[in-house]
Parts: sequence; C-alpha cells; structure tokens
Amino acid sequence: MIKRLLVTPSLCIGCRTCELACSLTHQENGKPGRSRIYPLEVGKEQFVPVVCLQCDDPACVKSCPVGALALEESTGYIRLSYEKCIKCRACVAACPFGCSLVDEDQDKIVKCDLCEGNPACARFCPTKALVYK
Amino acid sequence: MKIQINGRWYKAFEGEMVLDVLRREKIDVPALCAHEAVEPFGSCRLCMVEITHENWGGWKGNVTSCLYPVEDKLRVTTHTPKINELRKMILNLLLARCPNAPEIQKLAEEYGVTITDFVPRPDADDCILCGLCTRVCAEMGFYAISIVGRGYGREVGTPLNEAPPDCTGCLACVNICPTHCIKYEDVGNVRKIWDREFELVPCKRCGKTIITREFADRLIKDKNLPEDYFDLCDDCKRDDIAKNMSKLVIWQDKKEEVKR
Repeated sequence: MIKRLLVTPSLCIGCRTCELACSLTHQENGKPGRSRIYPLEVGKEQFVPVVCLQCDDPACVKSCPVGALALEESTGYIRLSYEKCIKCRACVAACPFGCSLVDEDQDKIVKCDLCEGNPACARFCPTKALVYK
Repeated sequence: MKIQINGRWYKAFEGEMVLDVLRREKIDVPALCAHEAVEPFGSCRLCMVEITHENWGGWKGNVTSCLYPVEDKLRVTTHTPKINELRKMILNLLLARCPNAPEIQKLAEEYGVTITDFVPRPDADDCILCGLCTRVCAEMGFYAISIVGRGYGREVGTPLNEAPPDCTGCLACVNICPTHCIKYEDVGNVRKIWDREFELVPCKRCGKTIITREFADRLIKDKNLPEDYFDLCDDCKRDDIAKNMSKLVIWQDKKEEVKR
C-alpha cells in the first residue's frame, strides 16, 4: 500500500523541528526558512503544517512543460528530476497549495519528495503531528 | 543489458544513449550541449568517447556519447590519449570563440589549455552556439528563437532581429544556457528579455511575482487550467490552505492530546 504523510494539525505545537529537519536533510546550509514544510500559525497556539500533499491529479505535473515532474505510481510521491528541470517556475505558479518553491540562493526549484520514502520531518516531529504511514 | 565503461560493467537500458549511462553512474565526461529536457543534438562534441565491441574484430571508433545508443556488451573508454587530444582541440577552438566565459576557461584548464592557439574573437560573447536555448524553446512549443546566419556570423537570434512575437519570457533559455550568456532583467513588474518587455503577474494579495502574463496565458490555454489559476502567489496560497484546513480541525487541549 502507498504510504502517506499524515498531518494532524491539532497535535502541532509549532516547534518548527520539521523545518529544521527538512532543510538539514536537503541542503548544505540548513536554513529553517528554506524548508519544504511550513508550520503556519492560524490562531493562538494553533498551527497547521503546510506541506506538499502529493496530489493524485497534480497541477505541478500537468503544468511542467518538459516533464521533469512525475507522479510515481508505486511510491505515491511526485518526483522532481533536477537533470530535466529548466527552472521555468510553471509548477511554482501552478500549485494550488503553494508547495512548490524556489530557492533563490541555490537557484533551483524545491519540492517535497517525502525524502524518497523516509521523511525526516515525520521522524523528528516530537508530538506525532506528522506521521508517515 | 550491460555495457563496459573504463573496464567496469554497468547496467544500461534499451533506448538509452551512452551519455545517459555515464551521467547516471557519475563518470566524468564533459558535455555542454546535453540536457535531459531536450533531445540529444551533438553540437559541442566534448562528450566524445572511444567505443569498441567484441564482435567488431578489433575495430574502434570515436563517437559523441550523447548520440550513440547503447548496445549489449559495448565497451566504452572515456579518456584515451586520442580522445583527450580531440577534447583539447575542441576546447582550444571554444576558447578562441569565447575567451571570457568562465565555464569554458575552467574546462579548458582541466585539459591543460590555458591560452588558445587561435586568434581570439575580438567581439567575443559567451555563446558557444550549442543551440540548447533554441532547442528548449522548441521543446516548450514556442519556437521564439533560432540559430541564424552561417560561419563567422552565426548567432542565436530572433525572427528578423526584432522582438520575438512568440516569446513568453519563461526564462527557459536563460536557465539552460551552459555558459549563462543570455541576459534578462526584472525591474518591478516588467521583465526585459530578447528586446521585449513582459508583464509579470503580480499576486492579487501581496504583489509577489512568479511568471509572466504571456507564459501564464499560454499554460492556461495549453493545459486547460482555470482562468484564476495564477492570481495568487505561493505564499498566499499556503496561508489560504492553512486557514481552510484549520476550519476542519477540532482544536483540543494540546497537553491532553500529546499525552494520549
């Protein structure tokens, strides 16, 4: 069965460990603001971790003009091929949830790939608001 | 299918080119005009390798690896004296054409070419005429730029040297250029490229810009997307989804729930 990243906002305490885990996993500099996951504050002590939902009918894949993004049927995540990507930012503009991002420092598109099947954010979440199952 | 590269056996798949295997296995072969997004073209000639096969009776050949399809038990050598000589000559010529391009300088130095033996072009730019920009433009379906002219006057240009009517300002050509020689400018909500000005779509809420109006219209038309698809930027869309999701959540006392 395909595993999903399950987000339970009511459990999120907004500690931003997931941001740190994400940027340290994917980047050399480990800037928390350059992560693929964003716990956004929506009310007093209420946080919603916004992360790519790996849609079944993804707008990013549809909008990519060179086919660099592809939904992998077997694993259920959307994979970005950096060899193919031409950085036209069509996916950034197209994602209805704003979860395809541009890293201006490294000049590349960043998108959650569930760490290719072992998401660091879920491993480090102290309250189990993020669970990969 | 298996092919032998520098004496080691590697897995290869039907329909692949030799360069695809070299890149996947991270074997160092210089290639400037090859990009996965477009079909191989073989214009820079730097990815030359020596090939042979046990059934070929000792025959050896030098081919561009980006254009040579793999076959079973193919033997590839990436660095032979002959190949290095060829690459040196190509870099020598490229250095005469683009003496100021840092990418070419670096690559030439790796092969021991620091000063070109030819007369450097006086009106040099950094373009190596590999055609990647024109090919990616065609791949996107725009065909806005093309290689024009012959010989010394060959260059990448727009139709009739005027502002290209089919360009959408997507910057695919800028991003793919191996020597980063295509220039553009973003001032406020206006993008200037190829002597043409494009309006960048501002976010209706915060004003952040991502892509041009022309590119957005093209995507909406080609991919059958809704008209209001590009009205908001990614930051505002994230805020929206957080707010919408929070309405569905039953907020409980956190301490209790975490304990559970």
